[in-house]
Amino acid sequence: MTRQEIEREVKDVFQREFEIENPDMDADLRETYEFDSIDAIELLLAIETFLETEITQEEKKQAINIRTITQICDYIEKIAKKRNLLSPA
Amino acid sequence: MERRVVITGMSAITPIGHGKDRIVESLQTGISGIKPLREEEFLSRYIHSKVYGTVDYPVEYDFKRNHRKTMGPVAYYACQVAKEVLEQSGLTEDFITSGRLGVAFGSIHGSPTTQRNIYRIFFGAEDKIAVKEIGAVDYLKSMVHTTAVNITKMFGITGRVISSGTACTTSSQSIGYGYESVKFGMQDAMLCGGADEYDTTTVAVFDNLLACSTAFNDTPNKTPRPFDKDRDGLVVGEGAGAVMLEEYEFAKKRGANILGEVIGFACNNNGGDMILPNLIGITNTLKLGVETTKINPREVDLISAHATATKMGDIIEAQAISDVFGDTPYVIGLKSYTGHTMAACGVIETIMILYMMQDGFIAPTLNLEEIDERCTMLKHVQKVLQQPVNTAAIQNFAFGGVNTILMIKKFS
Repeated sequence: MTRQEIEREVKDVFQREFEIENPDMDADLRETYEFDSIDAIELLLAIETFLETEITQEEKKQAINIRTITQICDYIEKIAKKRNLLSPA
Repeated sequence: MERRVVITGMSAITPIGHGKDRIVESLQTGISGIKPLREEEFLSRYIHSKVYGTVDYPVEYDFKRNHRKTMGPVAYYACQVAKEVLEQSGLTEDFITSGRLGVAFGSIHGSPTTQRNIYRIFFGAEDKIAVKEIGAVDYLKSMVHTTAVNITKMFGITGRVISSGTACTTSSQSIGYGYESVKFGMQDAMLCGGADEYDTTTVAVFDNLLACSTAFNDTPNKTPRPFDKDRDGLVVGEGAGAVMLEEYEFAKKRGANILGEVIGFACNNNGGDMILPNLIGITNTLKLGVETTKINPREVDLISAHATATKMGDIIEAQAISDVFGDTPYVIGLKSYTGHTMAACGVIETIMILYMMQDGFIAPTLNLEEIDERCTMLKHVQKVLQQPVNTAAIQNFAFGGVNTILMIKKFS
């Protein structure tokens, strides 16, 4: 798994689940796309499906302050790295 | 404080049409909304009753994603009629979001389609990841007050929320408790109604109780047959309806188009059996309803009977109507057109009566060909009457022994 694949998957999830096409990677999701707490929970489920791994309660709590898609990708990358799912750069 | 309560908006999605034109046309030309039960993966194979009051035309929705995500089919119905009623009422966004408008809306058990999906995943899942297919929003779609709070969310309504889930009296309670909220000054307006989506589990329940119609599976439009000697049970249906109730002086001051007036409401319980109709309980409800209006029962022109077309229910109701109202009012059973739309029946029947008040006609009870000899004491309607209607009662009774009566009047 590479950073590019993560970004592609996240964009795909946003299009599929949230009907947001070509999102601005650094826009505030709440302000720009009316993204809310329910969407955040759905997104975490989508990430678990994508990574084929369970995200722990502690890791989920760390997602609370995420505001942008770039930050989502950072978050996934960090979890993937911890699980040794990342391909070497 | 007691204030007059008027109706300034109404809309219904029913098996005989969406909106006044189609519904009135069906009522005046005797078009039934009963269709063959759809074949589906499981229950329809085992249900004896093969008929359903079906919304078989497309309803166009224009809801944004952030609203749709918490909505099952029942909330789509609810939000659509709510939207139409808000538009028709002409209330401003400032008022709608002020806290002076509340919502009284319900369904019999949220969204059964969503619940069925939850159970499918739950029983089919083989690992923890699969169980997570149960979505974060599934509860919001399936909870009993899903209709009410999807409406408040979509339109930014901040007043009180009442969400009855009392089976067949759900929306008559919505209107009744909404009426009391405005009458006694707790809110200046209430958006009231009920909805239920297409669902075969409800049919299975009534089928198991031997309460469903089964003798007209090949001729769906011949059933249900309220008060007819050949009636053989109810037909489950789907639909939604909403009305806007508003304090009279406020409505008058803002120049609202007033469509009718709610003049009374009563609700009680039989205090015993949860299924069997109860003559004493129902009779008491009707008496209480009349008492709240301070009018003579002989002044009531028209009664919309609950009349589900079960063997015993219609006879008990006929007796209660006769005891309280005598033989003066015309009596009709509107479920003969739509089937029993469950949580929506009270509001849909109220709206149909308001249409009759507006247009000066009384729709006949469909399929009432030969009146059961135990129901002949009433003034039944078997063909369309061109007849003014000034005062009417809408009666509904539910499992659990809950009884309601709403009293409405043509506005003058």
